[in-house]
Amino acid sequence: MTVKYTLNELLIIVAAREIHNDENIILGVGLPTVSGALAKSLHAPNANLMMESGIFDFEPLVRPNHIADAMSCRGFSCSTDLFTAFTTTYRGFVDVCFLGVAQVDKFGNLNTTVIGDYFNPDLRLPGSGGAADFISYSKRTVLTMRGGNFVNKLDYFTSPGYLEGGSARDDSGLFPKGSGPSMLISQKGIFRFHPETKEIYLSEIHPGIAVDDVKKDVPWDLMIDDNLKITEPPSAKEVAFIRKFAPTESAGNALAIELATANIMKKMAARQQS
Amino acid sequence: MSQFNEKVMSLSDAVSQFVKEGDELIIGNYTLCACAELVFEVVRQQKKHLTVYSQSGIFDVEVMVAAGIVDRLVTTYTMRSGGKSGGSAVERALQARTLQLEDYTNYNYNARLIAGMHGFNFMQVFEGVMATDLYRIRGFMGDDKYRVIDCPYTGDKILTVPALNPDVCIIHVPRADKFGNAQYWGAMGSVMAAALASKRIIVSCEEIVEHDVIQASPHHTIIPAFRTDAVVEVPWGSHPTEVVGYYNMDRLAYGMFQGAAATEDGLKTWLDEWVYGCPDRGAYMDKYVATFGSETLENLRAKDYYSTPVNYGSAFTSPWKHDGTERGMGVTLEELETIMEERGLFHDC
Repeated sequence: MTVKYTLNELLIIVAAREIHNDENIILGVGLPTVSGALAKSLHAPNANLMMESGIFDFEPLVRPNHIADAMSCRGFSCSTDLFTAFTTTYRGFVDVCFLGVAQVDKFGNLNTTVIGDYFNPDLRLPGSGGAADFISYSKRTVLTMRGGNFVNKLDYFTSPGYLEGGSARDDSGLFPKGSGPSMLISQKGIFRFHPETKEIYLSEIHPGIAVDDVKKDVPWDLMIDDNLKITEPPSAKEVAFIRKFAPTESAGNALAIELATANIMKKMAARQQS
Repeated sequence: MSQFNEKVMSLSDAVSQFVKEGDELIIGNYTLCACAELVFEVVRQQKKHLTVYSQSGIFDVEVMVAAGIVDRLVTTYTMRSGGKSGGSAVERALQARTLQLEDYTNYNYNARLIAGMHGFNFMQVFEGVMATDLYRIRGFMGDDKYRVIDCPYTGDKILTVPALNPDVCIIHVPRADKFGNAQYWGAMGSVMAAALASKRIIVSCEEIVEHDVIQASPHHTIIPAFRTDAVVEVPWGSHPTEVVGYYNMDRLAYGMFQGAAATEDGLKTWLDEWVYGCPDRGAYMDKYVATFGSETLENLRAKDYYSTPVNYGSAFTSPWKHDGTERGMGVTLEELETIMEERGLFHDC
């Protein structure tokens, strides 16, 4: 029996499948924390979920509001500081981190700082936060993209992927050999990086999405895997977990806000009547 | 500051005494437990021309930038409301050229505080940033944003950031005593470093507790009394953000603020209503309850989940046993003094 799901749910589920048992995982704000909870609950009970605020080995019971949400769980194993969370990453103890994407180029370099000129921005985005250091020193980095863009040239280079491609990242001497983004998950498909050229390519496509629909978002001639696969659809168990754990993620931002606003209005009207 | 001076005062006195116009002011808190009421009071007193440091420049920074009291901002993360059609006070101030900004990574920013709190000149940071615009594009700090040195041991190129010692830190904590021992738990972030790197420290807290409570849980103290200049008890002092063990984030009020922050007029109206319109936190909470009902507020209160106490006990707390003899030497004090006299150990005067 097929189960009904949203593309946002699929994105969360595909990201969760990248979390393996016994790995040390750094979770970024938003979607990755839901993926982390899903993985821990369904297939990776021994995964060590960590956040840069210094919360190590936590198991969220509700969707964390942010990466310092010590109230989304009942205690956790180690309370350290942000400085130590990053030096732990620098020393090579982090297996995988998850980062969101605003702009990404052909070689997985990222911009999360600004659209337009840095000193006179069209849109000022959040900035680096932990991103630049995590993608530098995690063994793997999984990029998740909702509403971001593929661009030929980043407006601002926030976080290093494979630099100019090929062996540039390893040659720079700035990063551990073999590190860098391992995949990018969007609401249309799963992208990976060519082992030699480090150019991004479409590796799997989500069910019901056409290749042209992916290509139209990319301003260069996107490489497509010769053996392009279809993303494994979510299981009933995976979908059920998200609906129960983070119903607002299932609903999506727009619907969640619309319903919450209506709910507040209803309550306030009832208060005025009583 | 003496350790046993009582430093309890009103919030307005603390801010007027210890925050000065043109200061380098650092927000001690990181993402949660925001020093909301301290920020509001700095805004009410219009302490202008500040250079503001905030590890995560979201609620706190938006309020201060919108109030026009910030000339320069150093941060790693800014807030933006309402997607592509929305905006933020920081974005508007950058576009109007009324705000200068320096962007760091979370680690770089924290490293400057670690250097500052320990009295070092600089801190080594991870070299990966050298591949990025964080390194290449400099704001008002220019060459001093990052400098590269040769490691005297290995000869490697080492990236560094300069130490930071802000003039004043404003910080909210769950609890403190009247002397200024301040305790914090939850997500430690860069909270302790921000406070201890600073020259002056203003602490607001959910509750002032007995000194005994602090002494029985010293591992939670992040600021020792002798470093603290002022302590103010401000219940709900972080609202609409959360304080671990006291109350959750108020998603309704926070969402309302974010909605307002998307536009200049929206944020101005919000400031008039919730900051300038409320002389203190008591008035703010009264207004909140009048608007949204006490039930909305009560729903935010944390249910208890206590940490297991650690055992600070020891085998004995006196060198003298119950029978009056010393544990090692096996004699009473009287006997010891007699022996000392016999051996001629006392100074002849």
